[in-house]
Amino acid sequence: MEDMNLLQQTRRHFFGQCGLSLGSMSLLSLLGEAAPRATPRTAGPGHHPARARSVIYVFMAGGPSQLELFDNKPGLQQRHGQVVPQSLVQNRRFAFIPRDSKLLGTRRRFRRHGQSGAEISELLPHLAGIADDIAIVRSARTEAINHGPAKLFINTGSSRPGRPSMGAWVTYGIGSESRDLPGFVVLQTGRRGIRGGASLYSNGFLPPAHQGVALRSTGDPILDLTSPAGINPRRQGQAIEAINALNLRRLAATGDPEIAARIAAYEMAFRMQTSGPELVDLRSESRATLALYGAEPDQPSFARNCLLARRLVERGVRFVQLYHTDWDHHGGPGGNDIENGIEARCRETDQACAALVRDLKARGLLDSTLVVWGGEFGRTPMGEDKTPVGRDHHRDAFTIWLAGGGIKPGITFGSTDEFGFSIADNPVDVHDLQATILHLLGLDHTRLTYRFQGRDFRLTDVAGTVVRGLLA
Amino acid sequence: MTCFNRFLVFAWLALAPGLSPGLARGQAPPDFVKDVEPILKSRCQRCHGPKKAEGGLRLDQKTRALAGGDRGPAIVPGKSGQSRLIQFTSGLDPNNVMPPSGPRLTPREVAVLRAWIDAGAAWPDRPAPLSEHWAFRPVTRPPIPALKNPTPARNAIDHFILARLEQETLSPSSQADRATLLRRLSLDLTGMPPTPAQVDAFLADHRADAYEREVERLLAAPQYGERWARHWLDVARYADSDGYNADAARPIWKYRDWVIDAFNCDMPFDQFVIEQMAGDLLPNATAGQKTATGFHRNTLFNAEGGNDPEEFRVERVVDRVHTTATVFLGLTLSCAECHAHKYDPFSQRDFYQIYAFFNGADEATLETPTPVEQAARARHLERVKALESQKAAKDAAVQKKIAAELATLKRNAPAVTATLVLAAAAKPRPTRIHVRGDFRRPGPAVRPGVPEVLPPLTAKGEPNRLDLARWLASPGNPLTARVTVNRVWQRYFGVGLVETENDFGKQGSPPSHPQLLDWLASEFMARGWSMKELHRLIVRSATYRQASHHRADLTARDPRNVLLAKQNRLRLDAEIVRDVTLAASGLLSARVGGPSVFPYQPAGVMALRRSPRPWVVSAGADRYRRGMYTHYWRTSPHPFMTTFDAPRSDAACTRRQRSNTPLQALVLLNDPEFVDNARALASRILESPATDDGKRLQHAYLLCLGRRPTLAEQRLLQTLLEEQVSEFSNDEPAARQLLGRDERDVARRAAWVAVARVLLNLDEFITRE
Repeated sequence: MEDMNLLQQTRRHFFGQCGLSLGSMSLLSLLGEAAPRATPRTAGPGHHPARARSVIYVFMAGGPSQLELFDNKPGLQQRHGQVVPQSLVQNRRFAFIPRDSKLLGTRRRFRRHGQSGAEISELLPHLAGIADDIAIVRSARTEAINHGPAKLFINTGSSRPGRPSMGAWVTYGIGSESRDLPGFVVLQTGRRGIRGGASLYSNGFLPPAHQGVALRSTGDPILDLTSPAGINPRRQGQAIEAINALNLRRLAATGDPEIAARIAAYEMAFRMQTSGPELVDLRSESRATLALYGAEPDQPSFARNCLLARRLVERGVRFVQLYHTDWDHHGGPGGNDIENGIEARCRETDQACAALVRDLKARGLLDSTLVVWGGEFGRTPMGEDKTPVGRDHHRDAFTIWLAGGGIKPGITFGSTDEFGFSIADNPVDVHDLQATILHLLGLDHTRLTYRFQGRDFRLTDVAGTVVRGLLA
Repeated sequence: MTCFNRFLVFAWLALAPGLSPGLARGQAPPDFVKDVEPILKSRCQRCHGPKKAEGGLRLDQKTRALAGGDRGPAIVPGKSGQSRLIQFTSGLDPNNVMPPSGPRLTPREVAVLRAWIDAGAAWPDRPAPLSEHWAFRPVTRPPIPALKNPTPARNAIDHFILARLEQETLSPSSQADRATLLRRLSLDLTGMPPTPAQVDAFLADHRADAYEREVERLLAAPQYGERWARHWLDVARYADSDGYNADAARPIWKYRDWVIDAFNCDMPFDQFVIEQMAGDLLPNATAGQKTATGFHRNTLFNAEGGNDPEEFRVERVVDRVHTTATVFLGLTLSCAECHAHKYDPFSQRDFYQIYAFFNGADEATLETPTPVEQAARARHLERVKALESQKAAKDAAVQKKIAAELATLKRNAPAVTATLVLAAAAKPRPTRIHVRGDFRRPGPAVRPGVPEVLPPLTAKGEPNRLDLARWLASPGNPLTARVTVNRVWQRYFGVGLVETENDFGKQGSPPSHPQLLDWLASEFMARGWSMKELHRLIVRSATYRQASHHRADLTARDPRNVLLAKQNRLRLDAEIVRDVTLAASGLLSARVGGPSVFPYQPAGVMALRRSPRPWVVSAGADRYRRGMYTHYWRTSPHPFMTTFDAPRSDAACTRRQRSNTPLQALVLLNDPEFVDNARALASRILESPATDDGKRLQHAYLLCLGRRPTLAEQRLLQTLLEEQVSEFSNDEPAARQLLGRDERDVARRAAWVAVARVLLNLDEFITRE
């Protein structure tokens, strides 16, 4: 409410002190039209009724091994140690391993869970507990075999940098409901930064207001959210009041509506200085909730980010993306292997992922929130000859899961061949996944276009089919 | 095969109703113009014509049609059975039926084509039909239009603009006030705000040519080269690192400095183009000319393990084609990487013909040692020589020792400044079309060449990159000059005469003032491709000098200001926002060029990248260099740059977006560097000779906005100052916090920092009016 007072004061101050009467009505209407949102609503409502209002995309960067987590392959176990049949590797591309590599069975045990009987490995005990709430897609596949291009492909629909990311397309298409926070927010944890960096959540050629805003895990969640030392909220308000009063005068002199937009932006910035810290202040969360996620209020962690994601969605943010890195388990010393490395990543993420779905469900938000979990590709059925052992990048088959937001719960969709090498049925290409996500948000991926350099661009380029089998 | 086909076709002809008996008997062959061309036109040319050339085949031009497409000849004169045109249209090859959709050719039509081919496929010569699209036609020299009222006109530009306004019965805006004019000119030409002394001198200069003198002063300033170099670096996709995963730093700032120098010495633009495209191929190329080829080394570079190096080499070559087409030709040629362009007359062959020029280039590194580095290297070489001379004489143990020393010495050779360049390929690489844009699917071979719809290359023998460069920069090229003047125009008005500055093709918007565009392009070339002359021409025009205030009559009639009855207010570019802040607060370093620098950056930015790199803030004045010198890491650009819409440097950026967001407000209000600048500005105001607060406020306004405040503004600021003095008098610890130290008169000084902060946040401060 304080911010509303500020706004009124500014206008009173200006109209009172500067005695501007002529044209003040039109000035006020200009101010009213100026976008009061961090991310404008551009295209209005979507193309058809939406099933999901928000998306939380949990991105497991590096390419988690589907063979250790979801895709149980007895055939692979039986042929463990044998050279991969050459018929399988012909005309395929791998990043590192030679073509005469040996098949590698997993040492993880799988069990069926829930009424749906979904197969999930022992590495994900918490996820197993919500098996009936999620849809496991074992038939995802992509085009690129290296991290940078593959991450770009799944985020932007193109493996070269420069295209808008999914979150940007979504806020471009249906805007955001949050008045005090950006519509597309990115959170990140892990030992190293994400490959590809900001181009993964870029606005590309869409207006800059649609770029993903990366929340920082320590300090201000948004850069420069804290007023300078010595400037308390009252003084900050006074400064903004003076800035807006002078800007309003300039608006009166020049008639440029951009100034009205800037006045609105300063008002919004002032509100964000309150709403931002409030967002990341987890003291209002109950002990039970914190325990559910396994989060500490002031300790940066994936669990904390999951909880923040729920809070962002509660506040009307449209698209939240959580990155957690170091799933690139080639093997060898250094902790990136499918022995210790994958265990460590699962320990860091399993409980919180399950908690996110449970928490959303308990609060009645799961129906309107689409949760997506997955990496940029999967890992090879062949092992890399390293100690501890690992697997190479594999683009021809990997597993993702989805929940909420119009997704059919408790199903396992698609399957792979006996070694987990190729898709056996119901392939889901990256553009299909993107088309499906847009569909659930009420957007037709063939109609969500933007004209750039003489061409109408889409997230799904010239491909993509909505995966009907996944829809509730 | 042939016999079989002939038999089938014979049977078909016999069955075909309405067949002319003459044709069936094989008497007079069909006439091309009367019989054949209408079929090609109505049934084939939609896909194989000027609009697109599917499969590289065009059936609207004799040479192209007889040359065939990517799959080989379509017409074999005298042998209709071997001609794919017949095989495909007749339906004899069920896998290849043409046209692919819609009604098939009638048997009679097939019979006409067959008879025409069998009779030798006579195709009368006539001039190739040039594309009718305006941008592909030669640049003309339109006459300067006469005006009913020539009074407002200052030069030819105004005649074109005013003629249109007279047609629309709209009047131009009056000239902006002189203070606004000087700040506009100064920001546009140098990216610097005028100093209070410059403002006062200009306001007091009543000579008729006072403004023109300012133009000359600014064009001669080294900051002119910096400002216009930065515009060019946008299109050159300049950055200081590789991008992708490793995002390693790369030595390329020498290229940036070359661009600055080129602008400052007003290198003719044709030469500017030639040196960047192919400076290495010029006879007796200088180090500078080689450095210029860094233009095409600004591509991303993927060093990720497990790559196919060829995949990313191809990607870089593709980027060079795309950039060349975008930057010089204003064409979206990259559409043709995978298939014939959907809208413009470019085939995949056209794309790979240009590709072939760059495919014949290697990536190299050029050492450009400074004198100091050269001396160090000479000393090093001497030591190596000295050691080597001792090698032979001694016994084995000593020899071993010397060898070890030598190895160490060689490993530690002194580093020298280097820069990335292009060089002619050591081994020629033949170019093939990539089927569907996939380099693993090589198609037919192509030779270097230029799109057919544009004027031909005049090189003798196999053309090389230098020939392409000369072709781009030749007066006969209808695009380069138009695209260039349009982009310069865009920098002055926000939007070009062609609004789609990156697409002069059919999907682009037509020019708002086609005759002015052509006149400017021809004038630009007539004046020796001089950039400074082009700037003079534009900034001296009355059109440029108009006020930018909105006008109610225009809002209704011309809401997007296409007709230019006024100037436009434009928010400053990212780097310039920071530059004007540093200039107003007196901190800005004037040093031109040199390695990129590391100003203050919020902690944690570098942690967002994959490969950690340090960000050690530069010492001394380098902390306060112009924004264009800030080291640009592609995967973790300085957040200030991103927030204020600096380009991402992934691809040529021909127009920056201008966003207006709360994140920008947060930076200007709270970022430690901007608070520092507010402190410096406050000190500067307090240390000025001004004797009272009113004069101080006026001086502050002059420093920031290049004008004096209006009475109302002054009153408002006075109120703010008093309010803040009382705020900080009641809370001196807060005042000390804001100042960052204790000093005399702490409340008043803090209040001035608060005022300075407000000024540095004004919309007008970061806007060119």
